[in-house]
Amino acid sequence: MKKLTITLSLMLAFSPVLAENIYINGDVSSRCSIVQDTAGRWGNPSANVLTTLPASGGQVPIIRFDYTLANAYYASISTPISFSSSPSLTDSTVFTGVVSVTQTSSSDQSGYQAASTTPAANTRQYGLTIAGSTWFSATSVATHGGGNNTPFPSGSYTGIVVASCIAM
Amino acid sequence: MVWPQLSYSFDYTFGVTNNAAAFGNTWSMTPQYLGANGVDGMEINGIIYQYTAVKDKEDDFTVTVQNEKEGGGYVFQDKEDWSQKYGMTIRKSFALPYTPLAIFKEDGGAIVTTGTGSVVNPQVVYLHRFNRCFDPQSDPNCTGYVTPLPPKPPEFDMYDALEDEFVEEATKETDQDLIDKEEKEKEESEEKEEEEDLEILLAVGDNPLTMGDDFTQSSIIAQMNAALNISSYYAAKIPSIVYNEPLVMKEQKSLGNSKRILRSLGQDQLHNQMVEAQYQ
Repeated sequence: MKKLTITLSLMLAFSPVLAENIYINGDVSSRCSIVQDTAGRWGNPSANVLTTLPASGGQVPIIRFDYTLANAYYASISTPISFSSSPSLTDSTVFTGVVSVTQTSSSDQSGYQAASTTPAANTRQYGLTIAGSTWFSATSVATHGGGNNTPFPSGSYTGIVVASCIAM
Repeated sequence: MVWPQLSYSFDYTFGVTNNAAAFGNTWSMTPQYLGANGVDGMEINGIIYQYTAVKDKEDDFTVTVQNEKEGGGYVFQDKEDWSQKYGMTIRKSFALPYTPLAIFKEDGGAIVTTGTGSVVNPQVVYLHRFNRCFDPQSDPNCTGYVTPLPPKPPEFDMYDALEDEFVEEATKETDQDLIDKEEKEKEESEEKEEEEDLEILLAVGDNPLTMGDDFTQSSIIAQMNAALNISSYYAAKIPSIVYNEPLVMKEQKSLGNSKRILRSLGQDQLHNQMVEAQYQ
């Protein structure tokens, strides 16, 4: 194989050019962008609960989807089912989450929530059928210790809301 | 070596107005609603509005956010039809070419609804730029600023107490007896003068010389008075004081040399001869 390669090279060196590769370049800009409108924060109203509810000292994260094409994307948003970082936990933690449309750029998008689906327990998916912008909120509650109400160990806790544009 | 200096003027400031719908669903394009820059010099290039439509899905409901144009029509108008839809919070933004505030009708900002439903928590803000030198006199650093002339001194109305109706009222005589007495005396005086005039007229036919005597005597008395007045100046004596010379020269002889004295005498004699020669 190696030898064959050398032979071909020699032949090419003494022959006129018979073919050329012509490249075509192109860029595709996203028609769907995701922006964090409001950062989330867990409050700690009781020793074994972390929640984003404002009444408990938390802050609900808001995600904005901007999309210029109608009927081209799904908005998929998943709430945390585990901590991405936390102190060492000695007991189990139960996560619950709710995703909902909080704001739209058109009254025609007001039906998004009713038409949404839940492909997974912690995931809600919306068909983005009207071009524009839509704001979604993702509340999250983490309860430690199961029925024992075991307090969370002190430290820093982080969870991740995953938002994505999925082509239809 | 002289380097050219370039100067740039950054007269525009960019910003966002206050929430024009903070006090209700109608607003005026004035500083009260837009903030301090809501005056001439503001140019609007964008509108962002947000509200929550509260309604039942089955109800028909429309919401229109608009700005009327000075002279008729609309600078901006956007209608959202919520009929047969879920109530929701909506946020929309619009770009405009830079539009002077004067184009907007002053009281033309409104959120107008039709049908069954309501709008809560409305927010309408305007993206803008503001030319602080729209009026060059607003800032000495503006191009075209002209140093103003000093203000004219204020003109005061001079108060004349004599023309003050309240003063007149306050100083008005109020003693009716005294007023009556003065009027009575005045009337009596006038009546007396009329009687005297009448007597004189009646006497003209009987003794006209009497009137002539009165006039003659009056003129004589006047002349006498004038003479007396002048004679007092002639008779006046002005006192004077004599100031005697207190210095007395005891030695009365000349201290010059004799030759000079003789020359002087000779000159005097010559002078006298010349004077006498004029009369010969």
